[in-house]
Amino acid sequence: MSTQEQQPPETEEEAEAEQAVETEPGAPAETPGERRRRERAERRTAERAPSTDEVEGPTVHLKVYRYDPEVEGKAEPRFDDFYVPREEGMTVLDALMYARDHYDSSLTFRHSCRQGVCGSDALFVNGTQMLGCQTQISDLDDPVRIEPLPHQDVVKDLVVDMEHFYERMHAVEPYFDPDDEPPGEMEEYRQSRENREKIKMATRCIWCGACASSCTIAATDEQYLGPAAINAAYRFAMDEREGDDRMEERMGIVEQEHGVWRCQTQFSCTQVCPKDIPLTEHIQELKREAVKQNLKFW
Amino acid sequence: MSEAYDRGKIEDYGRWREFSAGMWAWVLHKFTGWVLIGYLFTHIPVLSTAGTGEYEATLQTLEAIALVRVAEVGLLAVAVFHILNGVRLLFVDLGVGLEAQDKSFYASLIVTGAITVASVPTFMQGVF
Amino acid sequence: MAERYSTFQPHGTAWLLQRVTGAFLVLVLAFHFFLLHFVHHPADIEFAGTQARMSQVSYFATMWLFLVTATFHGVNGVYAALINQGLTGTRKRVVRWVLILAGAALIVQGTRTALVMAGV
Repeated sequence: MSTQEQQPPETEEEAEAEQAVETEPGAPAETPGERRRRERAERRTAERAPSTDEVEGPTVHLKVYRYDPEVEGKAEPRFDDFYVPREEGMTVLDALMYARDHYDSSLTFRHSCRQGVCGSDALFVNGTQMLGCQTQISDLDDPVRIEPLPHQDVVKDLVVDMEHFYERMHAVEPYFDPDDEPPGEMEEYRQSRENREKIKMATRCIWCGACASSCTIAATDEQYLGPAAINAAYRFAMDEREGDDRMEERMGIVEQEHGVWRCQTQFSCTQVCPKDIPLTEHIQELKREAVKQNLKFW
Repeated sequence: MSEAYDRGKIEDYGRWREFSAGMWAWVLHKFTGWVLIGYLFTHIPVLSTAGTGEYEATLQTLEAIALVRVAEVGLLAVAVFHILNGVRLLFVDLGVGLEAQDKSFYASLIVTGAITVASVPTFMQGVF
Repeated sequence: MAERYSTFQPHGTAWLLQRVTGAFLVLVLAFHFFLLHFVHHPADIEFAGTQARMSQVSYFATMWLFLVTATFHGVNGVYAALINQGLTGTRKRVVRWVLILAGAALIVQGTRTALVMAGV
């Protein structure tokens, strides 16, 4: 698999040089465009140098966001380059794991099941939120730029603080609470096939946080529940077995000022959801449901 | 929210190149909305000259300025887009055709462009 | 079910009104633009013509409703946009009242102008 293990030293130096430029006090701030052009030029020279010959065969060029507030030299965020041998069927997560295992063991990111179920490795890849384990390297343009999810605090490298996301998820009381139990003790609590179909997509959420990260409203309005939490509310609100009291309580939460009404139907969440949940559609349906309830009252 | 470190452009609208149709529709709807409410708040004061005898004079002075004519074409474009995208949003709110929301946005753009271009002669009449 | 309504929130009503006024404005704004830019050119407008239009009750009523719905739609839209930007607390209350007063002033002035135009 690997022939050469070391990353070319040039890129290390480049990273340090870049860092020096960035931390220089009083230096005029570069515009993002200038910086990108400079980085590209530097990268091009680095690329022609040993990097590609050291690893035999085709490589993938990863540009990975690095940040570690606890280490002095890494407290200023930067991008590190890794050249990983390209393999058939390789995912972004595979490439990151290769870089960590062979080049830099301090590279930090979350992952667990590696098959799109645990929701740990939502990343910002080439400008879009996606699951690292579910994204084929071959589907991406080179270089692959990997950043932590936007609009969340970065803990280290690609790891973001998910606390605020989880708080909002819990805020909609995402659990089943029927009014009456089924008659027999061992009886199943059945749901009609149609009703199951209705909530099927909503049940697929893996709490990865990609949707909330893509939403500009969730980014600026901290109290907004966000797509995932509203979807969780939808999953129970549309379940015919749900008890009336819990249903009322949950609708009350969802139709607060910072609930469903903040959704501006940008469709960003729907587009990035790795589970293809029609989030916007669900939010819209809850809006209409809330309006209907209020109209009935009038 | 990001107290630890401000990640600059990926935290804001600097990544506009990655925007998708729905996002552009929102940005443009908001922009045109601001223009229209701004116009409404100047439109009424201008019309308030009605009955004072300065009504025609005010309108004619304004209409003689070429820049005002150009701005009016801009206003038409803004209004037409806000109307068409507004209709699109009404359908989105009703849950109709959500899977075609990007196509309906592009259609709004094209129709807005067509109507605007077609209206230029009418708007420029007598000023150039 | 009565309990349900104790959680009644006005935000859904504002959202619904924004849609209803929007649907109305689609028609009236298109009509207004067509009438006063394509049928009558702004440069040729004379007070007499304005008065002739405004003395028709149906036209007057439409234009007055246009004024009220457009003001609501615009002011409520601005307010929603600012809430989306994370406006909270005292600043939010101040902004709300400023917008309500500005909207009210616009409607009052617009109504006065309309009455002058109608020759009342």
